[in-house]
Amino acid sequence: MSDTPALELKQLTKRFGDFIAVNRVDLAVPRNQVVALVGESGSGKTTTGLLALRLLAHDGGQILLDGEDISTLSQKQMKAYRRRLQVVFQDSYSSLDPMMTLGEIVAEPLGIHGVATAAERRDTARGWLEKVGLDGSYANRYPHELSGGQRQRVSVARALILGASVLVADEPTSALDVSVKAQIVNLLQGLQADMGLSMLFISHDLSVVRSLADEVVVMLRGRVVERAPTDRIFSNARHPYTQSLLDAVPVIDPAARRRRTFLSAEEITARTPRITASDLVAEPLLDTADPQLVALAGSHFVEAIVAERATP
Amino acid sequence: MTGFIIRRVISMAVTFIVVSIVIFLMMHSIPGGPFDGYEMPLPDNIKAKLMATLGLDKPLWEQYIRYMWGALHLDFGVPFQSPGDTVIGLVAHAWLPSVTLGGLGILFGAPIGVLLGMAAALRRNSWIDYLASALATLGLTIPVFIISTGLILVFAVWLKWTPASGWGEPKRWILPIMAYGAVPLATYARYARATMLDALNKPFVSVLRAKGLSERRIIFQHVLRNAAIPMVTIFPAMFVGIATGSIFVEAMFRVPGLGAYFVSSIDKRDYPLEMALMLLISALYSISYLLADILYAVLNPRIRIEGRAR
Repeated sequence: MSDTPALELKQLTKRFGDFIAVNRVDLAVPRNQVVALVGESGSGKTTTGLLALRLLAHDGGQILLDGEDISTLSQKQMKAYRRRLQVVFQDSYSSLDPMMTLGEIVAEPLGIHGVATAAERRDTARGWLEKVGLDGSYANRYPHELSGGQRQRVSVARALILGASVLVADEPTSALDVSVKAQIVNLLQGLQADMGLSMLFISHDLSVVRSLADEVVVMLRGRVVERAPTDRIFSNARHPYTQSLLDAVPVIDPAARRRRTFLSAEEITARTPRITASDLVAEPLLDTADPQLVALAGSHFVEAIVAERATP
Repeated sequence: MTGFIIRRVISMAVTFIVVSIVIFLMMHSIPGGPFDGYEMPLPDNIKAKLMATLGLDKPLWEQYIRYMWGALHLDFGVPFQSPGDTVIGLVAHAWLPSVTLGGLGILFGAPIGVLLGMAAALRRNSWIDYLASALATLGLTIPVFIISTGLILVFAVWLKWTPASGWGEPKRWILPIMAYGAVPLATYARYARATMLDALNKPFVSVLRAKGLSERRIIFQHVLRNAAIPMVTIFPAMFVGIATGSIFVEAMFRVPGLGAYFVSSIDKRDYPLEMALMLLISALYSISYLLADILYAVLNPRIRIEGRAR
């Protein structure tokens, strides 16, 4: 299989009036991998997800699905690609049409794309309900009869029933309690391995990210400020914002508890890392003294100021 | 579901009895009686004799029980203001113009309001949204007698397209129906816009888009179905307005409907007619709310299931 990422965003930009919600974001989800997009509320991570799904019009940049540019397709042309690109949202309750039974909800994507007969669709939907750990008899129930975790399972079944290859999961576990959260993470992990899913996992929950993601992309104020394999992010974060996010993860053992540092926007800007040109594995794109995303060894990217002639 | 309906009917009957007692007491607590005219006062002995023939000298509780017993047999007595007639006959006669006016008013006002509200929700911040908001606010805030006067001024006086008032041939119906339809139109424009927006902003709509369902189908198969519940449930309550809300419109356009009798029966202490009209309104309200609840239960799976579980 080629190295073409399953989903790639290039210089993706979205403005709301004067506010730049997503500012030239680059990221790639390789096949069969999970890329986590993390950041605080308002950092632009959910907007990035919606842009990638073409549910929100972007103002610049490209979206590539299996190497094909889908960013200029009309919604009509998009329909064929939507079978491959699916989504699970955070709010499990309002993600499901309250007027429909779970069976109808899960089977609906098949109907939209004209797959199979009505009876076959019903059976497939039942099969998927069982696949996500619900009894097949749930097909006749309504969303309000389920718990949050169960509803999220239904959302997952609905997203994957068409055999999607790329899943955008927008905080799918944020509204759940800890034990249920772990179940959903396990479910996603299992399905990801079984189906060879590629996943863009949007979250602010670093403990979930750590167990699920292959790569972590950190967003701050619409920009990607750091991007690295998960181990590296947790062991060797370079950007002050990433470090403060890691500090904010609750530690259960009081003895191991660190002093937490909460950084203001000014402090983060002031602490933007300075990296000497010799540490870079690739030439910086811009010849500027402003912060830019630069490449370090080990597939590690960080927003930094390139210090030309710094002494080691 | 059956149990749900039975419970609702019982509570409705209890409410109805309580309301009838309250109305009866209030009606009789207004000072004066049917024979206390100002211009030609009746001699006291004649008045007492009249009161005795009509049973008005009996204690109130007895009068109440007699009236309600009659009402149970659809005998609402004889209106004091036209002794040659019966209350039933009088109401049946005046009923038709009221129902025609109210029914057509809702029939035109509600769908236009729904369409306007839907268009406003789908084209937010466009001219149609502003138009719908403006119409809805005007329709709900300007009293219907001002709207009526405005309609008469524009269409009858300036443009001379329609007669200013009266009933009879359908040409005369146009203005009263427009005036009557203003409130349902405004109510539904607001309601439809709000419920549509509410449904449109749910994540399941985004999921449907992500699944590739066309926008038209999203709106007709999902959004409308969800938005319809609150819209349908306010519909029965609108029908009560046929009996009450048209009082002003009927007065403004001199429509020979029930409206005039509400005023005259109270003014003349015409107890049998007044009581009958009030019971009619209470009955309409009770039935319309019962219908609304049943409709709600039928349309909304959440209620349906709970009803079944009990």
